[in-house]
Formats: sequence, structure tokens, C-alpha cells
Amino acid sequence: MTRSTTQNFVRATKARRRPLVLRLQPQPRRARDGRVTFWHCLHAEWIKIRTMRSTLYVILGTLAFCLGLAALNGSSAGSEFADLSPADQASFDPLATSLRGYLLAQIALGLLGGLVITSEYGARTIVPTLIGVPHRARVLASKAVVLVGVALPVGIAVSLAGFLVGQTSLSRAGAPNLALSDGVALRGIFGGGLYLALAGLFGLALGTVIRSTTATVTTLFGVMLIVQAFAPALPGELGDWVSKYWPPIAGGQIITSHQDPDLLSPWAGVGVMVGSVAVLMVVAFIVFGKRDA
Amino acid sequence: MIEVRGLSKRYGEVLAVDDLTFAVRPGEVTGFLGPNGAGKSTTLRLIVGLDAASSGTATVGGRPYVAQPTPLKAVGALLDPGAVLPSRTAYHHLLALAAGNGIPSSRVKAVLAEVGLENVSRRRAGTFSLGMRQRLGIAAALLGDPPVLVFDEPLNGLDPEGIVWIRSLMRRMAAEGRAVLMSSHLMSEMELTADHLIVIGRGRLIADTSMKDFIEAYSEREVFVRSPQAEELRGMLSAAVEVRTESSDALVVTGLEAAGIGALASANGVELHELAPRQVSLERAFMDLTRDAVEYQSEKETSR
Repeated sequence: MTRSTTQNFVRATKARRRPLVLRLQPQPRRARDGRVTFWHCLHAEWIKIRTMRSTLYVILGTLAFCLGLAALNGSSAGSEFADLSPADQASFDPLATSLRGYLLAQIALGLLGGLVITSEYGARTIVPTLIGVPHRARVLASKAVVLVGVALPVGIAVSLAGFLVGQTSLSRAGAPNLALSDGVALRGIFGGGLYLALAGLFGLALGTVIRSTTATVTTLFGVMLIVQAFAPALPGELGDWVSKYWPPIAGGQIITSHQDPDLLSPWAGVGVMVGSVAVLMVVAFIVFGKRDA
Repeated sequence: MIEVRGLSKRYGEVLAVDDLTFAVRPGEVTGFLGPNGAGKSTTLRLIVGLDAASSGTATVGGRPYVAQPTPLKAVGALLDPGAVLPSRTAYHHLLALAAGNGIPSSRVKAVLAEVGLENVSRRRAGTFSLGMRQRLGIAAALLGDPPVLVFDEPLNGLDPEGIVWIRSLMRRMAAEGRAVLMSSHLMSEMELTADHLIVIGRGRLIADTSMKDFIEAYSEREVFVRSPQAEELRGMLSAAVEVRTESSDALVVTGLEAAGIGALASANGVELHELAPRQVSLERAFMDLTRDAVEYQSEKETSR
């Protein structure tokens, strides 16, 4: 069944060569034979995500984390800058200082990704959802698309806001700071937004497999914060490997302006994150397609 | 029309549905009856593709559910009446379902009016009573104006007014030529609603019969007799008649009409204090039929 639904999904998307633009009201057009298409399902999922209360709370929370941490980090790091050793001053990273809020924002957007599906299991609406659209791959793909449609703009917006607030704090404190015209700034803002959207998909894949909101949130905290916090404490090579390749740590390099030679480069790091999210999404599609609802 | 052929579903060791074959015809309300745990809900979930069958097929209008071009226009189903996100309004709950099948929002308003929820459609569904949720679930089933309707325990937890409403709705849907399949574990709920009966127990088909035939086959009449000479009367009744002694002065007779008993008593000078024909309830007949198939019996019942 999985194979046939995937084929149908591929057929459905191939049949309509339209750019994947998320408008406020996608206008699904009926296929020639009256068959419902991927676009109908996308429209349905869009209605669901915008009428889910948690969506607004997550967006507000993400914004609060990013602005708050940018302002606090910027002013404290800025005032400490003058006391740093010359070596530490040389490796001072104004970009990462202003975008540190991603640490909590990734959990928030991962939670949104998880909720897109775990809320359906929690309220049992998965039953009417799958009765309405029995093509499971279509349902999950639509959820992923609307999630990215929300998480990517939100991620970019909160990164931009964090950058501006953080750099203002740094410049007030007289520490080195960046302007939007610096190339590295745009990489941090758009790359940071991309990373946050990937965190959302990560949550969606986890939520699809786990089905429980609580367990999904716990796993997100473990994967995205706890491993990160304890990586330096891991013994020798294992610690080095985790610090370099653990997907959220590797992906987080996208917001650094100072390259640590022991870690991956920003885009290579995002590549690792993309790869792990892709693997998890494949697992999620298989599990969702096969499992009894 | 729903056709189920050789349908089975195994959960680990348990065979929840065991080689079921039946059809649900248009223009009728088909009652799907069985004790708790008989496999009714599982069968309905298999019909709409929520669970994958271990073997056998279930088709609607000749196609498996996943192959329906527009699923909600093929089958309307109410399987889980509580299934609605508490923070979402009734309107948006239905709007999302409608959008997934290309059904216009005007139809959402129409079904909300049909089930009497139009005034609360902008209220969060979490504030709804069980009866209102049930109506919302039925509104979802009606969205696509489908020729086939499937309701799992639609009368559960409803007040008398709600029960009357759903009954008349189902009768009307059948009269419009739709195939209506409704499950219940209570015979009394079926008696007034169903034209046809499918009875299952432990996942197996026990009976597939019209309601009329079922009533004729199982509603034996018995006569209650009270007499101070009950024992003497018992001796006069022929061996072909079944007699049960209910107390020292009362008998229950099956197989002879009240008039026959009265004539016999009068001819033999037996004094009668009471002579009352009674109908065995269909509930009783259903319980006898499924006795062996009941999953968990109370000890009292088992020892009887």
C-alpha cells in the first residue's frame, strides 16, 4: 500500500507542474476525472495548521526566545569583550552571539512540527483525516509542506529580528558587530531560518513515529539540547565525533561567523542536518503508510 | 453498496475478524450487531482503510476505499465521535475535511444546518456536549452527500431526543436509496431502525438475515398461567408443549396458544387466575444467539 500511495503521490505532483508556492488560500483545481489531488489535501492541512491554537503560541514563543536571548547575550558579551584575552577577542563571534536564541527556537518549531501530527493522534482526528484522505503519503507530505511554509518564514523573521537586536546591543557595548550588508549576516539569517525549518521537519518525523506529544517534546529536548550540553563531557573520540557530526550541533554551525577548525563548515553542517531529517522523514513515511491508524 | 469478502484481521494472537462475508445493500438500514469485542469496529475500520486487512477484501461500489476518486463522496463514516481538536471550531473542523475532498464551504454550512449545529458552528468543539459532538461527526459523514453511510455505535451516550433524531435521519437516508450500515451492541436499538441484520460474535458471522425473518424466527410467544391447580394442569398438557414451572402456582407454556390452554382448563375444571400471552423479546433472542460468542461473561450468566 505504501508503494502505491507513494506512486500516486508522485503521479499527483508530477501531473501538476506548478511551482510550490504557498499562498494564503491555495486554489486546488479538480483534476480532469474529478479525482481529488495533492492540492486539496494541502489546502486541508493549511486550514488545520492555521486553526490550531498552538501555532500562534509557538510563533510568539520562538520570537520571544530569539529576541530575548539576542538582547541579553549581546549586552553581556559586549560588556565582557574588553576583558577577554587577545586570543578570545580574535575568535569572538558577533553573529553567533546574536543568534543564540536558535537553541530554544529549534525546540519550539520542532514542537510545532510534532504537534501537526501528534495533535491528531491526541484528539483522534487522525480517524476523520484518514477517512477523508486515505492516501497516507499525501497527508504526511501536505503536513510537511505547510509546516515548512510556516516554519521557514518564521525562522527567517526571528533570525533577522534576533540579528538586529543582538548587533544593536553589541554596538552599544562597544564590541565588534556586524551590519546586514556583511555577507556572513545574510548566511546566518537565511541559513538560521532554514535550520529552524529543518528542526520543524525533524519534529514532524519524530511525532509521526512516536505519536505522543509529550514523548516527542522530551525527545526533542534530549536530541537538541541535552546531547549538545553533554557532548564535551563524552570521552575522547566519541565526544569529538558527537561535537562534529551530531546533526543539531553540525547544523548550528550555520549561525557562526568564526570557523572552529575542529567542527564542520556552516553549509557542510546544514548538509548533515538535511541528511538526518531526510532519513527520519523516509522512516516516518514508511511507518505512517503501513501502520494501522 | 458495501461488499465484504473473506475479510480477516489478526492482531498478534487474536483473530479480531474471522473470514467475514456480507453485503450492505442500498435503500436499507443494515444493523451490524454483536456483543462488545465481537469485531464490529474493526470491521468498519477495515472497510474505510484505517486498518489493513490480514486477508480478504472490503469494497465500496466495487472499489477498495483507498482507490475512491473522492473518498467522502463515496462513503460517509462516523467512527470516533469524540475525534475533534478541542481548540478548533466546528466550522473549521468540517472546512478542513471538506477542503481535502474539494467540497465547497457552502456544503459545510449546509450540513451544519442539517444536524442543527449552525448556531454553535463558531464555538470551539471542546465546549461541545457528547450529543453535539455526535452531531458534528454525523455532519462530517454527510459532507460529501455519499451513497454509503457507516455509523459505529451512533446512539451511544445520546439522550432520547438525540436517539429519535438519528433514527429518523438513518431511515430518511435509506429511503433516499443510500446504503446505511449501523453498528450496535444492543438489539433494542436495532429493532426500531434496521431492515436487515448482520450479527457477528468473536469476529465470525452468526446471522445475516432480514429483520422480519429474524423476528419471526426468534420471537416465540409464551403464555403465563397462574392457577391454584398448577401441577394438575401441567400433567394435562401434552408432551409436545414446553412447560416451565415458575412458582408453585404459576407456569410458563410455550407451543400452545392462550385459547387452547383456557379450553383445556375449562374442560377439566381447572381454576385459572391468570392467562397472559407474552412475547419473548428480541434482546433475549439475540443474547441466546450470541451466548457462546460473548467475550467476557459474568459468572452468573455462565452458570445459568
